[in-house]
Amino acid sequence: MSTDDIQRDLTRRTENSPQELLTRSFFFLCAVLSIVTTVSIILMLTTEAAKFFTVTAPLMGVDGPTASVVDFLTGTEWVINNEQFGVLPLVSATLAITVGSAVVALPLGVATAIYLSEYASQRAQRVLKPALEVLAGVPTVVYGFFAVVYITPALRTIIPGLGTFNMLSASIVVGIMIIPMVASISEDAMSAVPDSLRQAGYGMGATKFDVSVGIVVPASLSGIFSSFILALSRAIGETMAVTVAAGTQANLINPLNPASYLEGALPMTAAMVTLLTGDVTGGGIAYRSLFAIGLTLFVITLVMNVISDVVAQRYREEY
Amino acid sequence: MATRDDVIESFGHVSRTTGTVFRYLLLAATLFGIVALTVLLIYVANDAIRPLTADPGWHLAFFLTLVLPTLAVSGYLFRTDPASFRFGAGVVGALAVSTMFAGGAAMIFVDIVSPVVWFGYVIALCLALAGVVVIERFDRQLPFLARFVGAGAVIVGSVLVVPGLIQSLPVYPTDGIMLTLSLGAPVAVVVGRYAAADAGRRGQALAVLAGVAGVGAGGVLGPLLAIGAVPATVLLAVAVVPTAGFAVGTVRRTPARRTGLLLTAVVLGGTLVGAAAVDALGFAGPQSWVDWQFLTSAHSGNAVDAGLYPAIGGSILLMVTVAALSFPLGVGAAVYLEEYAPDNRFTRFIDVNISNLAGVPSVVYGLLGLGVFVTYLGQPTGTVLIGGATLALLILPIVIISAREALRSVPDSMREASYGMGATRWQTIKNVVLPRAFPGILTGTILALGRAIGETAPLIMIGAPNVLFSLPTALSSKVSAMPLQVYAWASLFASEPFYQAAVPAGVVVLLIVLLSMNSVAIVLRNKYQSDSK
Repeated sequence: MSTDDIQRDLTRRTENSPQELLTRSFFFLCAVLSIVTTVSIILMLTTEAAKFFTVTAPLMGVDGPTASVVDFLTGTEWVINNEQFGVLPLVSATLAITVGSAVVALPLGVATAIYLSEYASQRAQRVLKPALEVLAGVPTVVYGFFAVVYITPALRTIIPGLGTFNMLSASIVVGIMIIPMVASISEDAMSAVPDSLRQAGYGMGATKFDVSVGIVVPASLSGIFSSFILALSRAIGETMAVTVAAGTQANLINPLNPASYLEGALPMTAAMVTLLTGDVTGGGIAYRSLFAIGLTLFVITLVMNVISDVVAQRYREEY
Repeated sequence: MATRDDVIESFGHVSRTTGTVFRYLLLAATLFGIVALTVLLIYVANDAIRPLTADPGWHLAFFLTLVLPTLAVSGYLFRTDPASFRFGAGVVGALAVSTMFAGGAAMIFVDIVSPVVWFGYVIALCLALAGVVVIERFDRQLPFLARFVGAGAVIVGSVLVVPGLIQSLPVYPTDGIMLTLSLGAPVAVVVGRYAAADAGRRGQALAVLAGVAGVGAGGVLGPLLAIGAVPATVLLAVAVVPTAGFAVGTVRRTPARRTGLLLTAVVLGGTLVGAAAVDALGFAGPQSWVDWQFLTSAHSGNAVDAGLYPAIGGSILLMVTVAALSFPLGVGAAVYLEEYAPDNRFTRFIDVNISNLAGVPSVVYGLLGLGVFVTYLGQPTGTVLIGGATLALLILPIVIISAREALRSVPDSMREASYGMGATRWQTIKNVVLPRAFPGILTGTILALGRAIGETAPLIMIGAPNVLFSLPTALSSKVSAMPLQVYAWASLFASEPFYQAAVPAGVVVLLIVLLSMNSVAIVLRNKYQSDSK
């Protein structure tokens, strides 16, 4: 190689050489793909849902049966064959699952987080954390099967009037499923509490119980709340377990009344799956109702995720 | 100075009981979910495998030949030399997990991709790589774009032409030989170099040759043992040779651990002796629902005859498709965000967007697949390709987030050292950052793939058939998957026989696959964490 070549190699600006440009644009496109995904989800859901509602259908150039927005949002009957599209029974069932699983998962999840961050030895943590991850790793359809085949019969020995498909066992399995989420995010928040605060507590003569409940939990409250919201949004979007375990009959139920958990109902996600299992013809009104429910679901979970983000950011105690 | 008389009441009372009760309450809460799941798993395993239907003599025989010696040896090793114990148990675990994956791979070669086609593509890729090396060697002064286009042309040309040429040959080697060369040889090179890392070039070459010979034996032994040449070769290439290489390599490096192999020998020997004893004495084993028939036959309206074969094949194909799509895209996005992205509003937007995408319910991804791929792009419903693409989109945020964590754990000093040597950004990423972050990225990807394997809802949404009687053979054929099949049995065919036979068996197979994937990921992560400390 002549010295000219060497000089050129050494002084060449490589920042914008074709190789660098090519790789950089590939990586950039990969990152942009996530935005494309979000945009297409939103576009897809809104355009198809717009074809579903009477108000917006003419704008989309659709003629054929449609449903009015008011009927959709306030109707109390969900019967596809009668073209009665009231989303309230579905929302009530989803709410019931959310409340039920919250009762199971939130206390257990926070207790787990406190135990892992304050009490458990390194060794116990090494065993417990992967074991908890397994809880979240079991496919949800398997949880649904567990609920129908094992949990419901077991509960029936205590509550004789329990139906084969019921909200109670569905809520329990969804609760078990989201424990790890509450636990891991809350535990992260608790581990982030500086040790100096704990030691100050001990220095004042506080016991471990006092330190955990009086110092660590209040200091990590924002993280705990954000874990609650994320886990509940997961419970709302949970599909297969409730499809298998909660039944296929759309009932308007009261999520705050314990007696309503004894019967089955049809949460939003399960309604979507049942719609598609029953051979929906593409382009019909039933097909579009799918996207209307999907949009409702997407908006609810998105709002909850954003709230969780805001809570975690805004109310974080800075040390 | 005035003294303060008021007392803070809340910390006034100190009680040991409160603390103890609280502690055990917390422990109970922590264990609740784990214990509940364990009980459910025991129930489902009992329903699927039905150990109680076996003769007592069967249990006794295996207890005496397998369980008792294993417990004795493990107890002894664990007390005297925990490192050896872990090594021995690791070899057994590696053998078990890799045998399972070998089963999957054998399925691919028997029913989806015939060895000739595979052989053709491997040869094509080898030729293409050789071509690229020649181009690179030929002239460093060639402009980058010319080299890039040239290399691309060589790869595409070779892949398009060579497999067809090889398939049109009048005579080609037997399946066993082709698989030995195309699958066994690369495995043997990696394994042999690991096993004989300290033995110099000659030793390594010998080790590689031994590996190839070991795999090649499958072509001869397979037909003799009546399991066929292809499955035997794949089993040797994917399970036996790598495990043996791992064992040999570890023993050569740390001879003190070789006592651990005692445990491996006891487990394998105990199994063989137990099986022989049971066979000789005529004890019947458990009438398990998870049996060869279940694994190798298709769905049937009769619960006892129903099988999982097409669903297993579908899950494997989906996994391959999802991995091929989500790994490069996810790692690419992570590299951009960690290594290139300026700290501006757009980057923060992508950031927020990814964490929100991770929280979008899987049914909504299913709707996305249905709407975009089926309705707008006009793809047929329920194919491997759109199923894989939908699942890939679903796990993409998880892959990105875990890959970013792995990239972030690479110390900045290493990047700076590379820049200081005059490396460009891409060279730094390629030669320094990615190799160092690779185990972490791999762990995250395996965990995400596990999530994809367990998903059912998106597949239902894109119209995957509930019942499929044959394996999908191409990207455009209809696909079923294990969880989908379990769902179909548990809902469409909901009846006592299905609840008692087919569904528990399907659940057990699905969980075994998932748990072994998760354990591989966790072992990788632990090894990686302890290595990097």
